[in-house]
Amino acid sequence: MAKILAVDDSASMRGMVAFTLRGAGHEVTEAENGQLALDVARGGSFDLVLADVNMPVLDGIAMVREMRAMDSYKGVPILMLTTESHTDKKMEGKAAGATGWLVKPFDPEQLLATVKRVLG
Amino acid sequence: MAGKRAAKDTGEPQAGAKTAAQADAGAAVVALPPDCRIAAQAALKAQLMGVLERGAIVLDGQQVERVDTAALQLLVLLRRELGERGGTLAWRGASEALNEAAGLLGLARILELPAARPA
Amino acid sequence: MVNAALAQFQQVFIEESLEGLDTMESSLLALDDGGDAELVHTIFRAAHSIKGGAATFGFPEMSSFTHEAESLLDEVRGGKRAIDGGIVELLLRTVDCLRGMFARARAGEPLNDAVAEGLRGELAAAMGRGAAAGGVQARREVDQADAWTIRFRPHPGMLAGGNDPLRLIRELAGLGELAVTAELDRLPALDRLDPAECHLGWTIELAGPAKRADIAAVFDWVEGECELAIEPKHVVAAAAAASAAPAAAPVADVAAARAQRETSAESSTVRVAIDKIDGLINLVGELVITQSMLDTFRDGVDASRLALLEQGLAQLARHTRELQESVMGIRMLPIASVFNRFPRMVRDISQKLGKQVRLELVGEHTELDKTVLEKIGDPLVHLVRNAIDHGLELPAQRRAAGKGDTGTLRLEASHRGGNIVVEVSDDGAGLNREAIVAKAVQRGLIASGEGLGDEAVADLIFQPGFSTAAVTTDLSGRGVGMDVVRRNVADLGGSVTIRSTSGKGSVFTITLPLTLAIIDGLTAAVGEERYIVPLVSIVESIQLQREAIRTVVGGGELFRFRGDYLPVIRLHELFGCPDAVRAIDEGLLIVVEGEGARVGLFVDGLIGQQQAVVKSLEANYRRVSGVSGATILADGSVALIVDVAGMVRMQSRRKVA
Repeated sequence: MAKILAVDDSASMRGMVAFTLRGAGHEVTEAENGQLALDVARGGSFDLVLADVNMPVLDGIAMVREMRAMDSYKGVPILMLTTESHTDKKMEGKAAGATGWLVKPFDPEQLLATVKRVLG
Repeated sequence: MAGKRAAKDTGEPQAGAKTAAQADAGAAVVALPPDCRIAAQAALKAQLMGVLERGAIVLDGQQVERVDTAALQLLVLLRRELGERGGTLAWRGASEALNEAAGLLGLARILELPAARPA
Repeated sequence: MVNAALAQFQQVFIEESLEGLDTMESSLLALDDGGDAELVHTIFRAAHSIKGGAATFGFPEMSSFTHEAESLLDEVRGGKRAIDGGIVELLLRTVDCLRGMFARARAGEPLNDAVAEGLRGELAAAMGRGAAAGGVQARREVDQADAWTIRFRPHPGMLAGGNDPLRLIRELAGLGELAVTAELDRLPALDRLDPAECHLGWTIELAGPAKRADIAAVFDWVEGECELAIEPKHVVAAAAAASAAPAAAPVADVAAARAQRETSAESSTVRVAIDKIDGLINLVGELVITQSMLDTFRDGVDASRLALLEQGLAQLARHTRELQESVMGIRMLPIASVFNRFPRMVRDISQKLGKQVRLELVGEHTELDKTVLEKIGDPLVHLVRNAIDHGLELPAQRRAAGKGDTGTLRLEASHRGGNIVVEVSDDGAGLNREAIVAKAVQRGLIASGEGLGDEAVADLIFQPGFSTAAVTTDLSGRGVGMDVVRRNVADLGGSVTIRSTSGKGSVFTITLPLTLAIIDGLTAAVGEERYIVPLVSIVESIQLQREAIRTVVGGGELFRFRGDYLPVIRLHELFGCPDAVRAIDEGLLIVVEGEGARVGLFVDGLIGQQQAVVKSLEANYRRVSGVSGATILADGSVALIVDVAGMVRMQSRRKVA
């Protein structure tokens, strides 16, 4: 099972993601903003990163950009957790180096299907 | 032995390819890592470049558990480079994961991959 | 909410959202003191989190609502829109509204209410568009085939971004048989290869009946990161033809159905406090007891039980009255929901004008009929804006007048008799008689101020045409004058008056009926007919001598009342009643006021005061001018309710003609 980093400032959203993924047997590390996520990412390796876009301290876009600059995170899937209204956010995220996105709202089944898809 | 099977399985061995038994003598053996994905490719490329002059390279793909397009692209380039130099590329086995990936990417024939060793 | 995992985090979501709303509110208020980009981001983030979470945790109503606010904020954030007091105020109301929704979510009640619906519209309007106009784009491309050819060539950077072509092709393999040909023509030399870049390309033959959308979905994340062509090899003609058009229709139907459902739900429900329902149940219980007691008289009444019968009938009367009040009470909601918007609005406006204002809210728990409540907001907002803008002075002016720097604005709601009275008072400069007279003369409303009492002068500000561009500011002047305030209040069956003392301030008093369903009125006789005149519009009833009437050219009659000449409207003429009193000195004039004007209604005489349950004439018959409805009298006959405002309008039209 995969090592996944879940980044979201919303405790409810992050909790739901972590709960669901752990239930599917994944090892989940939680971070509540982009900066903390980078700190965690430097100290370990992950198979997948799930990150909210709008976060305090360091937002998801900036986090992706910095994470992609790290050699060990080249090619590691990073999915933005975004809302459908933000097509430009998706593109901004992509330009920063995100792999794809998971559109909020999503239910646990959709989350697991997407994670399965990206992990192959 | 794996090399012989590989030659049979993939059929039509090309001019530059020799069996592992023939090549092993003076060949450089490079083992592909279990996680043979994009992050490992810079190191793998450096390693391959280092042995390119030897003209004969044997790849051991038996340990490969995870592999991606970056890895197979590097191997295709290695194969082409060796072909142009008149060198040889042979295999000392390839895992199921390696075979599946090469098959999906349409690169199995070019790489002359041997089938996975039965577990 | 079927999923336990979701339920577990729903409460967490509500908690953090309430915190987020607090953050939004304080940031919005801080923003009003001077825009800081980071504040806008903070506000946006909070709205965004709520929106995203709301849908995930099973509150789609809240999500769609927040969506509008978020879009607005996004424009502000992106610099496409300047933040101003109006937006801040709108967003602050949105915060309040969301708090209410969360409170209802916690209580397991329906989330939407009239306030939310209204705000949704305002937010959409602020965005310069109607609410959710969902366009459906019909796809003209062939979207189903037996076999497809997919040409796929990633840009070099796609790999590093985490999209491995291997994964994409593996996904395609799930849609059918694949024959994959790799294209090696763009590969660089080995030594020049950046191993993190992808220089391969593929032509993929996919055999099997797949939809274009399914294939495209595989590549949804890499749009813009690759060259991609998806072409059908064998078109399934029928399916392609059939799928283009009808695909659009159901979407539109769903949207229409949803819109319909939302509007009907909004217009037909009212939330009722449990204790009100319990009270009703108790009353009905007592009624049943009284009824069974009265039932014992079915076989006859003898003198010995007469006292008991009287007691039973008295009980029945009391219970009926209480039941009526309780049922009406179901429609009653506290005025707090309207008052609550003012603290911030007052703060915003006073800051903008450089004035210091202390707001006092009194009687927030006073209950109003739901319909009245929904419609009283706008007039109140206008009066409050007006009071700050025109009534209260700048701190320096106040000091000069020997008053404290901070002005007081007071909103007070109370029950007075059968009415609700809402007063908006300020301790500002009061009305400037000279300025009003000058303006009224300039506007042609009056010839001169001579002979006009203060009351009549003050009343001029309610005249149509008084408020014009010259006196409007960007705050109170939104094309709405005090005449509109008066008309809005009159539409609710109420009236608005002003008392003003120069240098001491002004008091605007709105008097409203407790409910639109029942009015207090005087029953007047006109021949054989009975008319109800709403008590709220009655100024006085007087009996006149014949000499007091002046007849003017064109046949109109005028009488002098408190310094003014008022027109006489003879109800028997207006409604065509035979056998009515015609001599002025034999009948009675009821002086009524509507829309700021007074007229005298001539009737035979008064029968008494009573509460009338208003029945719509329009719904039961047709609209009749001069009549606002009908009621059924105790004897079973029908009496028409006089529409005073309508009569005043008819009178002024007649005057013009």
